Amino acid sequence: MSWEVISINGETHRVAVARDRQGVWIGWPGRAALFSSESRVAAAMDQQDAVRAPMTGRVVKILAELGSQAEEGDVLVILEAMKMEYRLTAPHTGMVEEVLCAEGDLVDLGAVLVRLAE
Amino acid sequence: MKVLVANRGEIACRILHTLREMNIPSVAVCSEIDEGAPHTMLADETVTIGGDYAYLEFDAVIGAARSTGATAIHPGYGFLSQNAPFAEACAEAGLVFIGPSPHSTRLLGDKRSSRETAQEIGASVIPGEQAVNDADDARNAAQQIGYPILLKAAGGGGGKGMRLVREDSEIASSFEAAAREAKVAFADDRLLVEKYIDPARHVEVQILGDGKNAVALGERECSLQRRYQKIIEESPSPGIDDKIRTALQNDAVRLAEAAQYSGAGTVEFLVGPDGQHYFLEVNTRLQVEHPVTEWRTGIDLVRAQIEVAHGGPLPTPPAFRGHAIEARLNAEDPWNGFLPASGKVLMLEWPSRPWLRIDTGIREGQMVLPVYDPLLAKLIVWGPDRETARRRLLHALREMVLLGLHTNQSFLIELLESDIFQTGQTFTTSVESRTWNAPEMPDYVEAAAAHFMQTGVSSTNDGASSASRDQFSPWRTLGAFRMGQ
Repeated sequence: MSWEVISINGETHRVAVARDRQGVWIGWPGRAALFSSESRVAAAMDQQDAVRAPMTGRVVKILAELGSQAEEGDVLVILEAMKMEYRLTAPHTGMVEEVLCAEGDLVDLGAVLVRLAE
Repeated sequence: MKVLVANRGEIACRILHTLREMNIPSVAVCSEIDEGAPHTMLADETVTIGGDYAYLEFDAVIGAARSTGATAIHPGYGFLSQNAPFAEACAEAGLVFIGPSPHSTRLLGDKRSSRETAQEIGASVIPGEQAVNDADDARNAAQQIGYPILLKAAGGGGGKGMRLVREDSEIASSFEAAAREAKVAFADDRLLVEKYIDPARHVEVQILGDGKNAVALGERECSLQRRYQKIIEESPSPGIDDKIRTALQNDAVRLAEAAQYSGAGTVEFLVGPDGQHYFLEVNTRLQVEHPVTEWRTGIDLVRAQIEVAHGGPLPTPPAFRGHAIEARLNAEDPWNGFLPASGKVLMLEWPSRPWLRIDTGIREGQMVLPVYDPLLAKLIVWGPDRETARRRLLHALREMVLLGLHTNQSFLIELLESDIFQTGQTFTTSVESRTWNAPEMPDYVEAAAAHFMQTGVSSTNDGASSASRDQFSPWRTLGAFRMGQ
């Protein structure tokens, strides 16, 4: 991580720069943002066959039952992060094919928690 | 005297600093994942007491006090701070609990009984509040009172275990979720229902009692909230006049004296658009936003808590000075649904100014895990008037740098720059009733991002020199470019 001074068209700016496995963080007055070249997680989150963790958190309750039919919008997993609860719902109607987490698990951002049949 | 701080994060650090100043030996406790966290480095001794939720376990905390020879326990806020059985357990173990007596905590810290006490001293309360034992109970109560209603935890504050319910169909799931949150946050899943008042200002009075007498240390307005979590707090309130101010302080002091309150506490009120005020609840502990009051009064509330708990006198009622504002820096992504954020703090720089105070529990290199409260730091400023304070806070927020996880830094700036804040038209619904947009990204940031994504930046700053040598860098198309100064 470092401070970098850049000049564009005669104007000088200072930005803070750091890198982690997700990409490059840039900080400028009042804000910081992550720039990720391939945005793997974002692409994965768009896939409709699975319910993924939208943030790192702890699984507090699993409502999805293996082999049962889930209706679109049904709550499948309840995740807790920073003491707030997040209800992860079925993106479409389908059979619960796989449940890949257990109550109490700490799961990573983007982790597949439940797989639904198309 | 030797004080064990039964908490973590910024508040544990803040309390430990005062203990150091007072030359009182201190003990920190931590969970396994908090080992090495900043608060553990500020104490004379540290005891690891168990898993994620060990901060809630009586035996673990009291056991640590016993093994280190601590004589008193400061609970901070959250965790065991409003738990009367814990205060009793401390007494049984021969430890001084730095907070009100179990009797006062039961009377005021419990929302059901505090409401009754408030009614007894003649304070007006929110209509329709009642205890509910299950979802059906809650539905019946809601139908009686009329929607919208608020479901809230009987055993604690801070917005945990709280749900706004607008119709019958939402009540069963809201009840279950609120009860579960309350259980985790306060080890107590009792809920109650009350009428939801809108628009309203949230104004609270800081009190300090010695078991007999109490003093009011002014009010704080904390209307700017999201999901019942306060975001920005200030004192004095821009929305009440001296008549309401006096009425609130009188109610607060009478309530504290009726409960023989000892130590620091906060009496919360809602103030309606007509100036009518309603007693809301009492937080029988130090609050997150207590520095706002410290700025205006010059009183160190933690020091006062420790002194009062050991039989010392109440501080002399202060002369209030100027205006103070606090902003809470949270680990969350404000431009992506406020999703909780976690990650390693890669770079951290705080500004330093004469009227700026920063209370924090993080440092560079630390992992912020999604297990506890999202509060990373509080930036608190003082100014001779509200506008000066606002500008000082804005300047501090623009200067600070935190890389490695998302924070609400830019959202705090948007809030402070908004017309609602500038005009003081702040209500509990102000934040959630409008759409907030991310500020536009300057061109040079996008250019810098494109550049550093291609060249890479290593932690040793080699990236800078290699970037400068890279003839094919997109920077070349942007004109003159220098780095690594």
